[in-house]
Amino acid sequence: MNELTLHLLRRPSLHRPKCPVHFHRFPTISLALITAVLLWMPTPSYATEDQSYQALRNWIDNPPAGAPATPGQHLTLSDREAVLEALIPQAAWKYYFFDDMDMEIAATRHYPAPDDWGKTMASDYTMDEDGTLKGFTGGGFPYKDISADDPFAAQKVIWNMLWRPGANDYDMPMVTWLRGESGKLDRVMEYTSVNATYARGDNSLVPGYEEVKSKQVMEFRSPRDMAGAKDMSIRYVDHHRENSGWLYMPSQRKPRRTLASERTGELMGMDMIREDSMGFGGKIYENNWTYLGRRKVLATINVSTNPEFGGPSLWVPHKTRWEVRDTHVVLVQPKADNRPYSARIVFIDAETYWTHWMFAFDKQDDQLLRMNQHFLKYSEDYGTEPPTQAPYIKQDFSKSVGHQVFLHLGQVDINAKKPHATMTHCFTNKREFTAARAKQFYSLRNMISGRR
Amino acid sequence: MVKPRHQLTKILLLLYPALFTPLSWGIVNLGDDFEIEGFIKQMNVIQSKDFFDDAELTMQRNTAQVEGKYYFLRDGTLFNNWDNDFLDSATFTFLARGVYDSAYDIRDSYDVLKDRGKEEYKIRESFIDFVKAPYSLRIGRQQVVWGETDNFRAIDIINPLDLSWHGSRESWEDIRIPLWMARGIVDIGKIGPLDETFLEFIFIPDDFQKTKVATEYPRPWAFRGIGLQDVGANSILIDDTLHDLNVTVIDGSPSHKLSNAQGGTRFKGIWNDIDFSLNYYYGFSQTPGVKIQSAGLDDMGVFQTEVKTEFPRQHVFGATASFSEDRYTQAVYRLESSITKGVPVSISPPGSSSSLDSNGNGYDTVKQSVVMLGIDRPTWIPALNKLRTFFISTQFFWRRYLDYSPHMHGSAFYEVNPAVVDGEVVADRYVSENDDKLDQDEFVFTFSASTTYGRAGLLKPLFVFAYDPRSTGAYNKIQVEYLYSKHIVFRAEQHLYWRTSDDDIGPWGLGDYLARPGIRRNETVLTATFQF
Repeated sequence: MNELTLHLLRRPSLHRPKCPVHFHRFPTISLALITAVLLWMPTPSYATEDQSYQALRNWIDNPPAGAPATPGQHLTLSDREAVLEALIPQAAWKYYFFDDMDMEIAATRHYPAPDDWGKTMASDYTMDEDGTLKGFTGGGFPYKDISADDPFAAQKVIWNMLWRPGANDYDMPMVTWLRGESGKLDRVMEYTSVNATYARGDNSLVPGYEEVKSKQVMEFRSPRDMAGAKDMSIRYVDHHRENSGWLYMPSQRKPRRTLASERTGELMGMDMIREDSMGFGGKIYENNWTYLGRRKVLATINVSTNPEFGGPSLWVPHKTRWEVRDTHVVLVQPKADNRPYSARIVFIDAETYWTHWMFAFDKQDDQLLRMNQHFLKYSEDYGTEPPTQAPYIKQDFSKSVGHQVFLHLGQVDINAKKPHATMTHCFTNKREFTAARAKQFYSLRNMISGRR
Repeated sequence: MVKPRHQLTKILLLLYPALFTPLSWGIVNLGDDFEIEGFIKQMNVIQSKDFFDDAELTMQRNTAQVEGKYYFLRDGTLFNNWDNDFLDSATFTFLARGVYDSAYDIRDSYDVLKDRGKEEYKIRESFIDFVKAPYSLRIGRQQVVWGETDNFRAIDIINPLDLSWHGSRESWEDIRIPLWMARGIVDIGKIGPLDETFLEFIFIPDDFQKTKVATEYPRPWAFRGIGLQDVGANSILIDDTLHDLNVTVIDGSPSHKLSNAQGGTRFKGIWNDIDFSLNYYYGFSQTPGVKIQSAGLDDMGVFQTEVKTEFPRQHVFGATASFSEDRYTQAVYRLESSITKGVPVSISPPGSSSSLDSNGNGYDTVKQSVVMLGIDRPTWIPALNKLRTFFISTQFFWRRYLDYSPHMHGSAFYEVNPAVVDGEVVADRYVSENDDKLDQDEFVFTFSASTTYGRAGLLKPLFVFAYDPRSTGAYNKIQVEYLYSKHIVFRAEQHLYWRTSDDDIGPWGLGDYLARPGIRRNETVLTATFQF
């Protein structure tokens, strides 16, 4: 019997059998029943939480009544029905509600965008009939206002998310833990992503590269069987143009072109697919879109530092700071039959357009297949409340102050069907590249050799 | 009896801080600027006729490898103290490997080898990188890989290979022989319709090394020719008379002098989403030709032959391309092509072709072209894996002798057979014959598929198949790797060698040496690795 089973047996709801069993009269039968229950665990204990697509839609459309979350309050399991069920999307209850849970509530804040945000934007952009943004080159949100009755409201929310401030331009050392149930640690990985925005409204970071939206280089440093593996990807302003990617493997000592359009297979054993990136990392035109309205949710939008992980399987953020945020809720349904999901529901912050929650449902049975939830920190708080340093590199976090953007401090990705989870801490720091340095760093030349 | 291995002990002591510190689950930082990583690995190779029939342990290779990187100039600051405006960054990298094959101490039959191939203790790579955008320079002992082909050579010809201990079956990273050289790159960027362009220069002042093969039987991958592998030719048959044979081999390897420098250049870029490169390399053939200096019967009736190995100068012109086709086939296409001038061949019998072998020394150099087409495709096979794709990679490799003659033979595959006089086998007398007649066109096809299983993808199967349609020789590998923990990796491999017909060894020796009737062997490889 594992720790998770023990934990679930202790849960009050499981100690309320519908058909009382008289243990003292029928010890043999009782023993058999206990054995059966143990063999049955842990799945049935979770069955009380409905994780279907329909349940989440009901939760969105008919929000349960709840008391407000008060700033300064620490919410625990005892606040579940009164407060939390109204603010945590139902598909996540199974993981986010646990015995010693502790959610610190902070006041809902206004987070100003960079001072020049929206001031260098081109104005002659359009949206075509499949919802693809044409001619937009960044520098601000393409759609300042989202109207619920706009037939393209969902796509517009996603476009704002994809062009949000702070999406790029950082050094991001990361540590990822892959855990099974009961917190069994399967793998730990260390890697660093370095990312730059090229398209900046009326100018490009590197003149002459106006077709490039952003570039990213990611390199693994552990475990040793992956150390030195390096990936470079280029996203283009033209959404219809497929991304470009190269992978350098130290064992091959050369880069290899990769197929960027394959976004639905799990990566490196992690519980995510490329299309799950920040809630939605695919192509707009490959999906049907529905705007489901606005919904208030709890979000780890401005944590003090990278949160510890709690819960019976150590899968979810614990003892960290949450804020009630107003979000746009977007339903994404793939047009093609060969996709793993029947639907994906994304909760995107209505002010900052950062994704807080994503839930994706299995095409086979409309039950939750994967979800992710993100931890962010506002750059202006780096000065007074710096986040934790990465275990393998020290950074000057003061460089982040003044940018007025959010920095991604990590995320949780859960595969509900395995079940298994991937938790990531990002030790993100702002980085501004000069044109010359960006040109050199994000180049194919830089991909032909690695740490070995 | 196994003797104490002092060298290995030293390496283990050096690795101690990394292996036994609680921080050693990834690259180990020693201070802010120095990192080390590495592994200890034991690989057991068992050869058997058919799945453990007549099985023998042929290799028990114990490897300790440590790799280090020292960042001595970062962000324009040298040794964390001095500002430096001249360079952006500089690092020192080394990779050291110690190897001890304990099969030599387990098997009595290896005593005749006198420990050749038993140990290796080397700083394999050691180089300094300097970066000053848009220039970068790597100086030192290193590997440089060009081209798009996996595990066959067209323009990946800068570093020779060490085929002595396990043929070409290991990762080429581990069997390339690093060379002392300078590698400079100028990043250019956009030029007209071309993007991501750069120009690369390679200069190898005097470090010529030849491809390394083992010739001492019973080394498991000893390359002794075909036919009888455990004996050498000691006789020659002339007009039905058997004579003793005495062969003197003169090593004609280029000496270490500047006039024997090698070098090359590559221009690489992207045109219309197609990665391409144009390559030129001026070097030496890393495999020898054999030039007969003299041959004839002496006064004692012994046939005396003096041959010289020749490593001719080569000009290699190459071009590569790769393209990701996302819309219709969802595949990455790879193309590599080269023309090599100066490929050594043997002319057999010597003097038989006046145009190729005018001086009758049985040696000439010819031109050769190579075309490789490869396709990589992440492929969903839901019946076999619902979570992750299979990475499928195929290659078709075509090599052609441009100035072909039917007299052309290879220089290596001499067949050794018992001497026969008047229909009778003569005891302890062996003759050799070069019947490795070259085909003008040579082909090989490869296929590999890999994926991962398990909740965290810790189980990694790999299937490899290579087939030479001319010789019908083939090679299969079935491998499963299990990432047991962050430190420990287990791997089991089964290598199958087979041939469907004929006894043509083929240019790649694919079904050979281990698939030839009479000596056919498969290999089972069991490996445990502790990595940090």
